[in-house]
Amino acid sequence: MLLNQFLLLGAVLFCIGVYGVLARRNGVLVLMSVEIILNSVNINLVAFGALNDDVGGAVFALFVIAVAAAEVGIGLAIVLLMYRNRRSIDLSEADMLKG
Amino acid sequence: MSEFLRTYLTVGIFGALGVVLVGAFLGLGRLLRPSRPTPAKTENYESGVDPIGDGWSQANIRYYVFALLFVMFDVEAVFIFPWATRLEAYGMFGLVEMAIFIFILLLGLLYAWRKGMLRWV
Amino acid sequence: MGAEVLALAFERPPIDWHAVAPELVLLGFGALLTLIDIAALERGRALMSALASIGLLAAMVPILTLALDGADRAMFGGAYVIDDYALIMKAIFVLAGYVVVLLSVNYVAEGDYWENEYYQMLVSSILGMVLMASARDLVTIFVALELLSIPAYLMATWRKRDLASNEAGLKYYLMGVFASAVLLYGMSLLYGVTGSTMLSDIAGGVAAGAAPPAVVTLGVIFVVVGFGFKVSAFPFHTWAPDTYEGAPTPVTAFLSVASKAAGFVALLSLVFVGFWNRTDVYQPVLWVLAAASMFGGNLMALRQKNLVRLLAYSGVAQAGYMLAPLAVAGTSAAVADRALAAVVTYLAIYAAMNLGAFAVIIAVARRTASAHIDSFRGLFRYGPALAVAMTVFLMALAGIPPLGGWFAKFEIVLALISASTVAGTALGVIVAVNSVIALYYYARIASYMWVEDPPEGADTSPISTPLAVTAALVITGGATLVFGILPQWVGRFTEVSLLAAAG
Repeated sequence: MLLNQFLLLGAVLFCIGVYGVLARRNGVLVLMSVEIILNSVNINLVAFGALNDDVGGAVFALFVIAVAAAEVGIGLAIVLLMYRNRRSIDLSEADMLKG
Repeated sequence: MSEFLRTYLTVGIFGALGVVLVGAFLGLGRLLRPSRPTPAKTENYESGVDPIGDGWSQANIRYYVFALLFVMFDVEAVFIFPWATRLEAYGMFGLVEMAIFIFILLLGLLYAWRKGMLRWV
Repeated sequence: MGAEVLALAFERPPIDWHAVAPELVLLGFGALLTLIDIAALERGRALMSALASIGLLAAMVPILTLALDGADRAMFGGAYVIDDYALIMKAIFVLAGYVVVLLSVNYVAEGDYWENEYYQMLVSSILGMVLMASARDLVTIFVALELLSIPAYLMATWRKRDLASNEAGLKYYLMGVFASAVLLYGMSLLYGVTGSTMLSDIAGGVAAGAAPPAVVTLGVIFVVVGFGFKVSAFPFHTWAPDTYEGAPTPVTAFLSVASKAAGFVALLSLVFVGFWNRTDVYQPVLWVLAAASMFGGNLMALRQKNLVRLLAYSGVAQAGYMLAPLAVAGTSAAVADRALAAVVTYLAIYAAMNLGAFAVIIAVARRTASAHIDSFRGLFRYGPALAVAMTVFLMALAGIPPLGGWFAKFEIVLALISASTVAGTALGVIVAVNSVIALYYYARIASYMWVEDPPEGADTSPISTPLAVTAALVITGGATLVFGILPQWVGRFTEVSLLAAAG
């Protein structure tokens, strides 16, 4: 059974993505890290679906893919807006609101 | 499952072979060729034009909207492909369902068109 | 795998049109708003808010007829359930959405920003919440969550030339997508060990001994943490104060009430149906989250100078109160029903009092253009009605009888004590201690409004409140008073149970 390898790949991608979200300061790179997490989820879903011989996992993965595209579209729009207003996409500079 | 994976094993072996071959030839070249670096030889474009400016260049922002629209519609196709494989079984019901789905998508496209997003300024 | 699927005969799933009527009405009005925007562009502005509120009220009609009908309906093999619980939550979402429209009318029309899209986004977000109330399946929960969140990200960024609003939207977006990614990873693990996305199947699949405990634990914790972000539980609350402060105030009101309630709806369905057999896994996590949210939220609120930020931290504490009964729900079926009723009651009353508090802030900020505590000094001199209303809402939030918040807190403590476990009693004590801490900062604002003088040079001519905001104040204030004076009335509606569906 090769399931473990798929899950391991999923887990590694998940960790890389979480690291990217927490450590990166560039807005676009954070978006890419979130995409990596979502892809690790897709790998898990498809692998589990194949293991259980159930199409449910693949269908769930399709929904994740479609929604992720919409999400990233919005995210790029927000990052773009930030770039237009302050000429930088460095997240550590977004610190007007605190306390 | 295992049958499915075995067919992909061929792809894996093929890929691995590709990597090994390229590595082998590059390694062989490195072993055989003489190495006498001079400052002129280490430049990016030997005997070319000197590089000017930054390595980064920005793509025109106008492409963003088109890329976005493309990605949206491209991804919505993932719902249409599985539907198409079983169109006959779904019959009229499936056709109406997909028409509603595409109508909602179309609203988005109409919106983008009406707000001037499709115009090349 | 593929060949067998293709060979299956297709059966048209039966669709109960009455059961999905609220969603269809909202979808129809959302599409109508978009079509009018496409056809008329800016000339459609005047229509938008009216159409959005008509759409929300129209969606209430099928909700009421379904409630009168009373029968539980299930579709798609139990993935979409319309029972009393779902209907009450749908009514809360739609009515909260209506109040938000009332609060937005003047704010959005007077600002120099897109108006048509604002109402389209609002209606789509409410559609997502209404879907969420019925979702009993991981895929449906996920799609509903994104449908309600994605428009909310845009609404938080509404003032697009304002850096604070940009930052608010960016932080909300980044935390939101990160949370839903973590949530999805947990869902994928749960799907893996149970082989199904239906909550009722997951309940059996995750039972002790049926699945590897480590994977189940990881899946449950990831899902709970994902929703912890959504309901802004400590320590996953970091986005909330910044987003609340930077976003347009009506949007803040919407996020703090509707979006939080939607997170709770999903969490309730998951805990009471999906994870029901794994009390050993979810109870400790929720206990810690509840206690940390109460203390964290209240202690941080003490040192806030901005009223919106203060309400954000108070919202963190309120999320803690609502999480508390879930941490003891698994003791027995009777405790579970009581805990569910307590959380639903709290959500309804919280929606009324929190929306009311934001309505006052919006009304005052029209004059002072600030939500700083100092701008509320001496409000009683020039806006006595607003000062009285604000006091009512703040005291309700603090839980002073006979206002709505008192009954809500009472129900929570009762549910905690009915578990008669050490953990439950300890949480009950924590709720009581925190109510006292919270009273301090709520009372401080009240004394600012009543006792202190207006700041030097402030315009102290009487404040005029727009009609729509007044209407919102009357609705929320009335609800806050009625829920407190006639608690048995609201209690009758929130006597709901999810366990029947799980069995």
